[in-house]
Amino acid sequence: MMTVIIRRNEKRSPNVDLSDVFDEQAGTISPVIYSDPDIYQMELERIFSRSWLFIAHETHIPKAGDYFSTYMAEDPVIAVRQKDGGVRVFLNQCRHRGMKICRTDSGNAKAFTCTYHGWAYDIGGNLVQVPLEEQSFPGLDKSKWGARQARVESYKGLIFATWNEEAPALAEYLGDFRYYLDTVLDASEGGTEAIGGIVKWIIPCNWKFAAEQFCSDMYHGTMSHTSPITAAITEEFPALDPTALSGFQFRASNGGHGTGFFEAPAGTSWGFRIVQAAGLVEGFDPEAAHSRQAAHLGDKRGTIFSQHLSIFPNFSVFNGASTARVWHPRGPNEIEVWAFGLVDKAASDAEKEQVRLMTLRTFSAAGTWEQDDGENWVEVQRVLRGHEARQTKFNIQMGAGATRNEGADFPGTISNAYAEEAARGLYAQWFKLMSDEEGTSSKRGAYVHAAE
Amino acid sequence: MTFVRVCSENEVPPGEALRTESAAGPVALFNVDGEFFAIEDTCSHGQWSLADGYLTGDKIECTLHMAKFCVRTGKACTLPATKPVKIFPVERRGEDVLVDFDGGRYAA
Ligand code: FES
Ligand SMILES: [Fe+2]
Repeated sequence: MMTVIIRRNEKRSPNVDLSDVFDEQAGTISPVIYSDPDIYQMELERIFSRSWLFIAHETHIPKAGDYFSTYMAEDPVIAVRQKDGGVRVFLNQCRHRGMKICRTDSGNAKAFTCTYHGWAYDIGGNLVQVPLEEQSFPGLDKSKWGARQARVESYKGLIFATWNEEAPALAEYLGDFRYYLDTVLDASEGGTEAIGGIVKWIIPCNWKFAAEQFCSDMYHGTMSHTSPITAAITEEFPALDPTALSGFQFRASNGGHGTGFFEAPAGTSWGFRIVQAAGLVEGFDPEAAHSRQAAHLGDKRGTIFSQHLSIFPNFSVFNGASTARVWHPRGPNEIEVWAFGLVDKAASDAEKEQVRLMTLRTFSAAGTWEQDDGENWVEVQRVLRGHEARQTKFNIQMGAGATRNEGADFPGTISNAYAEEAARGLYAQWFKLMSDEEGTSSKRGAYVHAAE
Repeated sequence: MTFVRVCSENEVPPGEALRTESAAGPVALFNVDGEFFAIEDTCSHGQWSLADGYLTGDKIECTLHMAKFCVRTGKACTLPATKPVKIFPVERRGEDVLVDFDGGRYAA
């Protein structure tokens, strides 16, 4: 009789061979990065604990005490507007025995009291009251036991946070991507506001499928979304020939951010929003909306139509439908999508309603376009249950060698709309962070005793 | 017995509260449907401002551990509070609301 001993590796993560998973030169990618649980654990530390992560829109928490419960990857956090107008983001974890400090989605708070034993924190996350303190915790220095604070910065209405004290300032992190982000965030005087609630749903797929597609993939549109495009065609808004549209893709020089868009005749953007909302909302003037944005942007960005973008790692916008969302990772095989509508503050009520209807019908839990995207990602993920499928490399070569600098009046590293240059940028950033152990929290010393 | 002006009545609309400092410590003034009541501001349980709490009818709920007090009597209505807070006499003179900070006492 023979005994077979299966030895598990004693050291868990990081014990994964990443040398071969992404080869930009060859244009190949190994699908284990979408399915491997050890790689996922590494991502939590090396990607998500070191990058700037989207938290909320400024208009989600306008008044002092307004709070918004969300996640930085798998870590629950609370974002709270302070009395001085600033925002704090802290870990939603009681320092006594780890219960959630706040168990509701959003609201206005005077304090956060742990429902387990009653430790109470003020809106800044400072520990202010401990039940039976004199008898039971004599000499407790409460100033050392506040909630863990993240670094917080905003860019034109979007609040971001990071656990990484060494991360560059947010503006620097976004770098040359800001020019293309401003098409969304700074297209009108006063910037943007969030509308509607947060629509949340679960998709059983890896977070990178979603982040990559919004970063780089205009290519799938005409195949995957044929049905909602066809259903909405009218005489007034006939089908656009996608091969005739000129379009570009931009790969940020740093950080893994990317975007793509078409350049279209004036008004195409609004025509699309009207037809996809199944009609014009009474009182909405698409001409006025277009000229407002074109005048404010003041350059070729006024012609941008159907813009998709991702800020590395997991925040995306599809401006064709005014939807913004976070892909919260939930293990290698699942994401929670948290989406909201994004409109210009300067827009009329009718325009905001036009956008709201359009976003609901296209890109939300029950949106037509959303189903098409989710269906692809879920199916790809299911295939990766197969051992052989996980060993089979993917092609990520589209547009390689066709990239140019400062092309066609659009600055930076530019490709055609149908390319994978921005996706290669996303995976290059992913690979860089994953291969670099410096500055990870386990290197810094994993245990944090006190809030500074 | 000295009544001191604290505010004018329209500064504290119904359902709202005002926290004021006095020689007797912080005092919370509440407007219950047009009637004014003053009690000790610091929760008898957890050292927190009751004026910051949620007023429903004549009950104020502390935001820290959700203890409720009656603003008429200062009595603790719910756990975790067990001890009452002091109440202070209130007087109206025209638009003005006055409190006698020397008159703080526990209700019988
Ligand atoms: S876990 Fe929060 S008070 Fe004990
Ligand atoms: Fe899509």
